[in-house]
Amino acid sequence: MEFVSPEGLRLDGRRPTEMRQLRAEIGNVAKADGSAVFEMGNTKVIAAVYGPREVQNKSQQMSDQALVRCEYSMANFSTGDRMRKPKGDRRSTEISLVIRQTMEACILTHLMPRSQIDIFVQVLQADGGTRSACINAATLALQDAGIPMRDIVTSCSAGYLNSTPLLDLNYVEDSAGGPDVTVGILPTLDKVTLLQMDAKLPTNTFEDVMQLAIEGCIAREYQAVGMPPGFMIDSHGKGIRSYNYVPDRYKVAKMQGLLNGNVYSNPTLVS
Amino acid sequence: MVGLSEGEQEFIKGGIAQDLRSDGRKRYTYRPIYVETGVIPQANGSARVRMGSTDVIASVKAELGRPSAMQPDKGKVAIFVDCSPTAEPTFEGRGGEELSAELSSALQHCLLGGKSGAGAGIDLSSLVVVEGKVCWDLYIDGLVISSDGNLLDALGAAIKAALSNTGIPSVHVAAEAASDEQPEVDISDEEFLQFDTSGVPVITTLTKVGKHYIVDATLEEESQMSSAVSISINRQGHICGMIKRGGVGLDPSVILDMISVANFVSRQLMDKLDSEIAAADADEDES
Repeated sequence: MEFVSPEGLRLDGRRPTEMRQLRAEIGNVAKADGSAVFEMGNTKVIAAVYGPREVQNKSQQMSDQALVRCEYSMANFSTGDRMRKPKGDRRSTEISLVIRQTMEACILTHLMPRSQIDIFVQVLQADGGTRSACINAATLALQDAGIPMRDIVTSCSAGYLNSTPLLDLNYVEDSAGGPDVTVGILPTLDKVTLLQMDAKLPTNTFEDVMQLAIEGCIAREYQAVGMPPGFMIDSHGKGIRSYNYVPDRYKVAKMQGLLNGNVYSNPTLVS
Repeated sequence: MVGLSEGEQEFIKGGIAQDLRSDGRKRYTYRPIYVETGVIPQANGSARVRMGSTDVIASVKAELGRPSAMQPDKGKVAIFVDCSPTAEPTFEGRGGEELSAELSSALQHCLLGGKSGAGAGIDLSSLVVVEGKVCWDLYIDGLVISSDGNLLDALGAAIKAALSNTGIPSVHVAAEAASDEQPEVDISDEEFLQFDTSGVPVITTLTKVGKHYIVDATLEEESQMSSAVSISINRQGHICGMIKRGGVGLDPSVILDMISVANFVSRQLMDKLDSEIAAADADEDES
């Protein structure tokens, strides 16, 4: 199947290095301590954070750090074909684990000993990239809850189809069977916290694909923190707290290219 | 879990007794209702309803299926509700299942009528394509995203809005099919049949706190209830279903009194809901 047309456009009309439209909103779930909706194209997820609070199951309590828990669930109507899966199937258990480990790595858990932080992620619409959408939503929700973090995790996926690295795969591209690289990074610390890939890929191609995914992450972080006017709607006036984030010029150059719909893997540096 | 001190509990009860509730409402006043339709693009119809901080989504998916042998001239409708742990941490894992099952069965009682399918709020015979062979199966999924009491009414309202937003593809049936074979059907991508939702009832829950009962109770108020009666009433003022929850018994005369109150309140709710749905549909057409 042709995923990139001879004109260089993908099935949904995007260029290979173009992300889908992002939209985020915080403070949707009034009862939660922090919550966020994250949309990218037709993928839409809600994350809610409860805590830090008393540990519910005392045997899990840790005296030197906070307990971080996560549950991922998909709505029955989230996929094209209606499905009714029992809770806690393998896939959602695995994604819960991935999200938990990623968030645990960036939360300053040692500041909140003997407490518990619950992250609940609910997929409303699944159109590829739910894993990265969930991580982005969870980050925003944690920030909304005011939980101290080392950095803001952002996540993005990239794939490789028709000998072209593609950024932010949708469902059709994702199910094509090609490699799918999901990356999560801590942008200010410049560290990779999450890296997952399935299928095989030559090493040098992998570098390109991963680089593309990382650039996607940086662009998302810019959109989440840099907030072009009107991008982020704050439902209860708390605002997004960023942790002294100053984008450097190199990153901004890349990101501006991306916001206009282009990611250049070798951007011209603005001196 | 709602943790209330004795003083807070007394405050809530006292307010209800004096017809001035903690959030300034009267006993029979609803919180503001917001309706958004078409929120789930891949469903045939969907709606999100917010009442205060209660937030629910309902979606309707239509699939072609076979009518049951008992009722060859009727389609099938199934209602499922899920409580997302985002609404309440105790819904984590299997924790929400009990409430989900309670809400699903309550909605089935209130909207789908008896076993024979008679008296259903949704006109089941309009779902038949070829009698005895092909019909539409409607899967109605509710999802609770945020919970602040009165989930049943909110879900009922969301389902009503989702149904009015539902387009069922028109089906062309190939004429020459032997009587024992499954006829070939051709589903249109462009033509949709709108669903008649004028008969779909609304659900009004009256929560009894102390000597009085209130509509649209919040989570705090629900924690003080002795019993609650949910009544589903349609446009014609007919009762389509009724459920009593809570352990404390009610005097039969009180129930009759509650029905007349519900009848009056549901009329207001229905008008409000219809105008909200119309506004939401107009919004969706514009965008």
